[in-house]
Amino acid sequence: MLSIRRSASAFVAVAIGVALVATATLLLASGRPQVPDRLAQAAVVVQSPEAGTEADSFVPTRPWSATAAAELTSRLAGLPGVAAAVPDRTFYAQPLVGDRPSAADARREDAHQGHGWSSAQLGGLRRTAGEPPRKAGEVVVDRALGLRTGVPVTLLTAAGPEPYTVSGLVDAPGVYVADEVAAVLAPGVRAIGLLLAPGADPERVAVAARGVVGGDGQVLTGDERGALEPRGDARTRWIGMQVLTATAALAGFVTVFVVASTFAFTIAQRRRELGLLRAVGATGRQVRRMVYAEALAVGASAGLVGLLVGAALAPGLGRLLVDVGFEPATFAVRYAFWPVAVSLVAGPVIALLAVWSASRRAARVRPLEALREAAVEQRPIGRLRVATGAFLVAVGAALSVGTATADEARVAAQYALYAVMALVAGATVLAPAVVGPVVRLLRSPVRRPGGAIGMLVRGGALTATRRTASLAAPVLLTVAFAVLVSGMVRTTTAAYAAGRADNVNAGWIVVPDGGPGLSDQAVAAAGGTALLPTTVFRTDPGTLPENRPLTALGVDPAGFAAANRALTVVAGSLNDLRGEDTVVVTASTNLLPSEAYELVFADGTLVPLRVVAVVTDDSLPGDLLVPRAVVRTHDPSALTSTVYVRDRIDPPVGARIVDVATWAAEADAAEDRLVWLFTLLLIGVSAGYGAIAVANTLLLAAAGRAADLRLIRLAGATRRQVLWLVTAESALVVLIGALLGGSVAFAGLLSIRAGLAEQVGVPVDLAVPWSVIGGVVGLCLLLAVVASVLPTWRLLRH
Amino acid sequence: MTAMTTDTVTLTGVRAVYGTRDRPVTALDGVTTSFASGTFTAVMGPSGSGKSTLLHCAAGLDSPTEGIVTIDGIRLNDLGEDELTRLRRDCVGFVFQAFNLVSTLTAAQNVELPLRLAGRRPPARDVAAALDAVGLADRAGHRPSELSGGEQQRVAVARALITRPAVLFADEPTGALDSAASRQVLRLLRALVDDHGQTVVMVTHDPSAAAYADRVLLLADGRVVDELTGGITAAAVAARIAEREADPVGASRHAAETTEGLSC
Ligand SMILES: Nc1ncnc2c1ncn2[C@@H]1O[C@H](COP(=O)(O)OP(=O)(O)OP(=O)(O)O)[C@@H](O)[C@H]1O
Ligand SMILES: [Mg+2]
Repeated sequence: MLSIRRSASAFVAVAIGVALVATATLLLASGRPQVPDRLAQAAVVVQSPEAGTEADSFVPTRPWSATAAAELTSRLAGLPGVAAAVPDRTFYAQPLVGDRPSAADARREDAHQGHGWSSAQLGGLRRTAGEPPRKAGEVVVDRALGLRTGVPVTLLTAAGPEPYTVSGLVDAPGVYVADEVAAVLAPGVRAIGLLLAPGADPERVAVAARGVVGGDGQVLTGDERGALEPRGDARTRWIGMQVLTATAALAGFVTVFVVASTFAFTIAQRRRELGLLRAVGATGRQVRRMVYAEALAVGASAGLVGLLVGAALAPGLGRLLVDVGFEPATFAVRYAFWPVAVSLVAGPVIALLAVWSASRRAARVRPLEALREAAVEQRPIGRLRVATGAFLVAVGAALSVGTATADEARVAAQYALYAVMALVAGATVLAPAVVGPVVRLLRSPVRRPGGAIGMLVRGGALTATRRTASLAAPVLLTVAFAVLVSGMVRTTTAAYAAGRADNVNAGWIVVPDGGPGLSDQAVAAAGGTALLPTTVFRTDPGTLPENRPLTALGVDPAGFAAANRALTVVAGSLNDLRGEDTVVVTASTNLLPSEAYELVFADGTLVPLRVVAVVTDDSLPGDLLVPRAVVRTHDPSALTSTVYVRDRIDPPVGARIVDVATWAAEADAAEDRLVWLFTLLLIGVSAGYGAIAVANTLLLAAAGRAADLRLIRLAGATRRQVLWLVTAESALVVLIGALLGGSVAFAGLLSIRAGLAEQVGVPVDLAVPWSVIGGVVGLCLLLAVVASVLPTWRLLRH
Repeated sequence: MTAMTTDTVTLTGVRAVYGTRDRPVTALDGVTTSFASGTFTAVMGPSGSGKSTLLHCAAGLDSPTEGIVTIDGIRLNDLGEDELTRLRRDCVGFVFQAFNLVSTLTAAQNVELPLRLAGRRPPARDVAAALDAVGLADRAGHRPSELSGGEQQRVAVARALITRPAVLFADEPTGALDSAASRQVLRLLRALVDDHGQTVVMVTHDPSAAAYADRVLLLADGRVVDELTGGITAAAVAARIAEREADPVGASRHAAETTEGLSC
């Protein structure tokens, strides 16, 4: 009893859903770390111990100290099959071309990384001209910079601009200095590459190396060496994963939802046929099985089409993800098995889930319904339905509160997505109950002199509230999602910026311009209070993770205290933060002043520190404070992130000066941009989907109403009146959906705002991107009118 | 003689009340009657008199508020929803006034639908024979939209008969047909009774259609108010109806006498 025309909309909906799932999962499966070119020749790489947990693996590993690295290197070099063991050092060094950092791909992290020359053999770098760097002051640079050998070049390092001479050129990004220079700039080592003797088996060497390294590092071979990719790439990839996972989950959810409403609609339209089947002897179970079989057929075939479309789209979308910065430049699509399998299963599963409730209703059709006119629905909404809807709304509200109060943005975003899903599902379930009042509320605008159209529109919407509600469902979904997600992102961004600005007591702020940070020379030129962040490692044996990365801020205590309004000292005094061995910790460490606290710094040395003060957890834009000199001693390549100054000054080289509000808004600008892109992507997916669903259901509805419309025409309506009627009807449906969706979303936004205000401690304004919302509603309205007017127009021509 | 007196369908004190508690609509108000095996009964009466409801209750499509219905000696009241469905499938054929066929299936598929639902696949020649019996052997592959109203009704008759039901109910089967098409359908029903001993119950407004029956039951306000047996012609039926409309009380006395006469 499968009818092509009737199944078309469900088919399209499932196909699009599966295409999205297929694309997202294919891209997900493709997103694996790449072995960096710089280490490609090292068949075995020993990496220093992992710090942090899997999820935030883009924090650096805990480095070995220079002595530990030297000792490990010589033992590794002695293993059979190892031709050479080379410690790989990485530090900040950016060649200035014409007094500015080179514009050559600012997003490439490896463009402003320096290494010792011996690292070049790990990547098999080709020297295209000149000589290797042999002594201090000599450097080999990327030939793409356009420099010639023998010319002077300024390298921007953590200390400041330094004069070098180009001794040679290579065909890869980054700069290479003499090994002794590298050992000074980067005492700590995070990787030792092993070059193997010809014919040596990497796995055998790896086993031997594990014996040498023990627990003090990991031995990586083959694709595992991807773990050594630049941390920025790993972070970008992680964001990309989040985007893709969310897209796949959303696509699946939206599809089930849209297909369910499509099926519900077709079942409602087929009551007479189903009644006839019941009359001639089909049992309820048979009807139900038939509906399931249809759904399965539609789901399986549409799933197949969706998979093919998704597979075809994946490479293009992959390139797009690289372009907008969701995936590192090394990303390429690979066709793995599991995404294909998942997508193949997704179609039928989505269809079966979606048809579940419709099939129950179909089985309940009574045989006599074959004989009646399109039955007027008895009750708009059952008690069970009210209970389900109320429950879903309650869950959604609870999750919104969770969103607002979650500590971590990542957790909050997940809560928010589920909150939206629950709220939207609840609103859809409850929609029939609300349609009546809303239609009555809208009565006046549709009333016109003689108002036959208004009467017909109202009558139709009121007697068939379930039908109206299921037509409005996709609009509801789309609008609720767009309003809630975009509003949440904007509000959160604004709230954090406001909180950040509120915490700072300074006139102006100096920030890096075109580089990752400010050099010491720039800091000295700016004056003011500087923050020098570095990653330190706290090792607590027996806890998980064993090595915890922490952000330590190197500061001058008096200046920091003056510039930081959020600072609240619980015990001790900030003024004692001086000398070689002092630290200020937050209350959550449960430490008291004068207790000992040991940390591993970037140079790999374990430094015993003494707690001099304890501050509240929200006092610091990091985890702990140490004297600036301590950071500089142990991390020669640390870069200053921020300098607070009282008056506007001329910014030094590689820096820019901004006011506090701008700085607060910009602080996470790069990440905010990614998040906003991500948001628009998700809204785009759901809006496009919602619009298609609106068009789908209205097309179906138009087909089902042909007889009615002919009657109305026979009763004396002009063609234009009938067209107005369907336009008004679909506009009403979109309006109802937009109103319901909008109110659900605003309720969610208000709770999010309340939570945020609590969290950041300043009043938070609700930021609602009206352009996004207007666009989404307009799209739905346009498609709805087209989808109902076109078939009607064609119908009336005959 | 004994075969003639076997009742395929009996209704005893059947009442059907619809609507809400405040505004009840009594569609059937204590109907007791029966349809003997191998007879052709026409049910007539004014619009809203309960003819369709009577048929639905007798066919197990609807359950009466009160009273007992039996088909082939089986009490419908005792059956569950699925058993009732199975009984309808196996023992009852039904032809509606319109919307009889599933629009996405061909004529032949529509005919074999009840058997398929019962899990049996009828041999192609049985389907062909059923369609042949209603004169549509050459239209087996056509969909309802390609058939005329009369042809659709005949396909519905073929479908109703494929299970060899104990009784065939038809609710205004010729209501939407012109006189030529009506005659075809009515002759078909008559032939079924004469040649195969089929039991047929048909609702109609048309005295000339009723003239094909062996017995005419007249309903008014949910009650059986009159009955004609023997010598049924269109004129006689029309006259009796006119008589009732002119003098409902006298006619009903007359009906009572007739009914008494029959029961003796
Ligand atoms: N499902 C129902 N709900 C409410 N009232 C009903 C229902 N079915 C029938 N009725 C009422 O019962 C009465 C008898 O209806 P029925 O359809 O049996 O009449 P009928 O004799 O077949 O009429 P017609 O010749 O117009 O088809 C009518 O008044 C009708 O309104
Ligand atoms: Mg009727």
